[in-house]
Amino acid sequence: MREFAYRLHLVAASRDARVSLRYQPFAAPMLTIRDIRKSFGQTTAVGGLSLDIAAGEVFGLLGPNGAGKSTTIAITTGLLAPDSGSVDILGLGSPADPRVRMHLGLAPQDITLYGELTARENLMFFARLYGIASPRARVDELLAQVELDTRANDRVATFSGGMKRRLNLAAAIVHDPQLVLLDEPTAGVDPQSRNRILELVRTLAAAGKTIVYTTHYMEEAAKLCDRVGIVDHGRMLDVGSVSELIARHGGQSTVTVTRGDADQRVLTSDPVAEIAHQFAAGGVTGVRVERPDLESVFLSLTGRSLRE
Amino acid sequence: MRAVLALAHKDLRLLFRDKGDVFFTFVFPMLLAVFFGFVFGGSGGASKIDLALVVESDSKIAAGMAADLAADASFEVKRFDTRDAAIDAVRAGKSTAAVILPSTMQDGVEGLFSGGGIPIDAVVDPARRAEAGLIQGKLNELAFRQFPKMFADTAQMKRMIARARKSFAQSSDLTPMQKLEAGALFSAIEAFSSSMNAKQPDAKSDAKPDARPDARPDARPAAEPAASSQSTWSPIAVNIAELPARAGQPRSSWDVTFPQGFVWGLAGCVVAFASSVVSERTRGTLARLRLAPITGLQLMAGKGLACFAAALLVESLLVGLAVVGFRSSIAQPVMLVVACGASAFAFSGLAMLLAGLCRTEAEAHGAGRGAILILALVGGGSIPLFFMPPLLRTLSFGSPFRWVVAAVEGPFWRDTPLADQVTPLVVLMAIGLFGFIVGIRGIGRPFGR
Repeated sequence: MREFAYRLHLVAASRDARVSLRYQPFAAPMLTIRDIRKSFGQTTAVGGLSLDIAAGEVFGLLGPNGAGKSTTIAITTGLLAPDSGSVDILGLGSPADPRVRMHLGLAPQDITLYGELTARENLMFFARLYGIASPRARVDELLAQVELDTRANDRVATFSGGMKRRLNLAAAIVHDPQLVLLDEPTAGVDPQSRNRILELVRTLAAAGKTIVYTTHYMEEAAKLCDRVGIVDHGRMLDVGSVSELIARHGGQSTVTVTRGDADQRVLTSDPVAEIAHQFAAGGVTGVRVERPDLESVFLSLTGRSLRE
Repeated sequence: MRAVLALAHKDLRLLFRDKGDVFFTFVFPMLLAVFFGFVFGGSGGASKIDLALVVESDSKIAAGMAADLAADASFEVKRFDTRDAAIDAVRAGKSTAAVILPSTMQDGVEGLFSGGGIPIDAVVDPARRAEAGLIQGKLNELAFRQFPKMFADTAQMKRMIARARKSFAQSSDLTPMQKLEAGALFSAIEAFSSSMNAKQPDAKSDAKPDARPDARPDARPAAEPAASSQSTWSPIAVNIAELPARAGQPRSSWDVTFPQGFVWGLAGCVVAFASSVVSERTRGTLARLRLAPITGLQLMAGKGLACFAAALLVESLLVGLAVVGFRSSIAQPVMLVVACGASAFAFSGLAMLLAGLCRTEAEAHGAGRGAILILALVGGGSIPLFFMPPLLRTLSFGSPFRWVVAAVEGPFWRDTPLADQVTPLVVLMAIGLFGFIVGIRGIGRPFGR
């Protein structure tokens, strides 16, 4: 199903934003970013970042706070104009065009909802803004998806942080966009809401949506993303699948072999072969393997920890 | 258009969810209009009723009534030399009513027994109808108080009876027997009057107002207007008329204060909507709106439409309250609608301008509200422009609120010729356009280019 979704490329077919489906080669990019640069005074937020994201892909932008992830998202959505470089969505052009933006959905890092309105009123407003034909049905469906249907008529100001996050996400996809940008969607939420949000992201991915997911939680990126881009100081350090990045930058696995009271640590690129070798030598009472992860990748690429 | 309506609907809903904004936009202006209406000439309940008194008659009854009116605790009486001057005082809201004791009063006294009545004229402010009944009752009461004095005056009684005898003698409706009986009655009254005068040389003592047990207003002997029915004879004929409308003059203080209410209503709208746009920016919802497939113009149109609708609503409420609650009449209804539309447009533009200039909610609530407050005061929000000293009146031309007052007063009560209404309308439209253009630039192009 996922592979099928990868090959499904949704292309805007008309000015009134109705979409038609047709098969596209995987290589056809949903989002193309070319050498974008953005500075605020003397501070360079994004310094020459390029990226291609294919339709149906879940792409993770991984980096610490201040790495330039949110600025990249803002430029991608057209909320911020780059100093130089270009952004193209679906091959239709820049997000400055309202017709192009129709295919974008953004859940910003901050909660961008009207606290004085109810959950339903918020979603109904955004649905009408996007010209959804049957807004009530769509809103009911979304409220159920984010498990807020029982609180639909309560004011958002009374919601917990996690509930607001879920509704924030629902507001981003109310118009069923092809490209969904989620900027730290799980920041500061309770485990239950985090799981619900991750589940929703998986559902969107399964439906063939292209997702750009920024986070500084490595485990989320590893679980959700087909590819990950490591960003620091406004630059893309490397892009690839998690396994590719680990293979390139994670270094070797550590196999710890215990014989009696003594531990022996062995660095190896093939832990299975190493374990077999150790057992063949005899006297092994215990074995532990530590594989490199994205943290190791980040450390290797930047010389510092992701959470610093 | 659907997106614009959705934006406007959302903003109005947010406005009505904020109790503070609802109060300052809708309730506060009406309270101010009513408050200043009372201050500038409305009823204060327990306060005295201002009467403009004109004594045209040199009769004793007129002098007695004038003295009794001046002594009455319900009235604050100011004497005027002419009927027109007294009516002008009513028109200007300085007096609630003008009471005229006409030169024909003496004729009325002398014709009392021959079917006449003592005439008293009164002109009241139509906005003060509540007091008109009290004034009429009081005039009847005070007129009746003069009767003992009249009957104690032997010479006057003789003139009254002589006139009555003459009238009866010339009547063709009475039989000779009835005429004889009437003559005997008049002789008896003459004899009684002479004997009373002989026994009580100081007859005036009986006429002291405070000595009467029925001196209270609600115990008056005759409260029904004699002039209202020709078939029912009454010795007192109080003719009460409402002040006729005159172009260029307010009929009541409400005519002046309700356009002032517009000032505060529009000021409330401007601050509420400017704050809402700034809040959208600081809370991040503006980013979501910019991301929607709408143009910057549509976004501003939605915001402006909500402000325009709220401004029209508060203007309608004020006009409705003035007409229904305070009986103001509108000289030119169609032009008033045009003036309301123009002022709502101007202040929607100003809201956008303020939103563009203020970067934070604190700026919008503090500096923005302060600036609007000063402009409203200079523009005639508290003190009517015609009460202002010349310097302030000149400064008021720089306040958009001044043009609202000018645009609204024209069709509301001034009955200004259409040609003279063009200038304030054009100025308001220009203010609106300027506000929208600069406001859009200030808020920032949607995509930062």
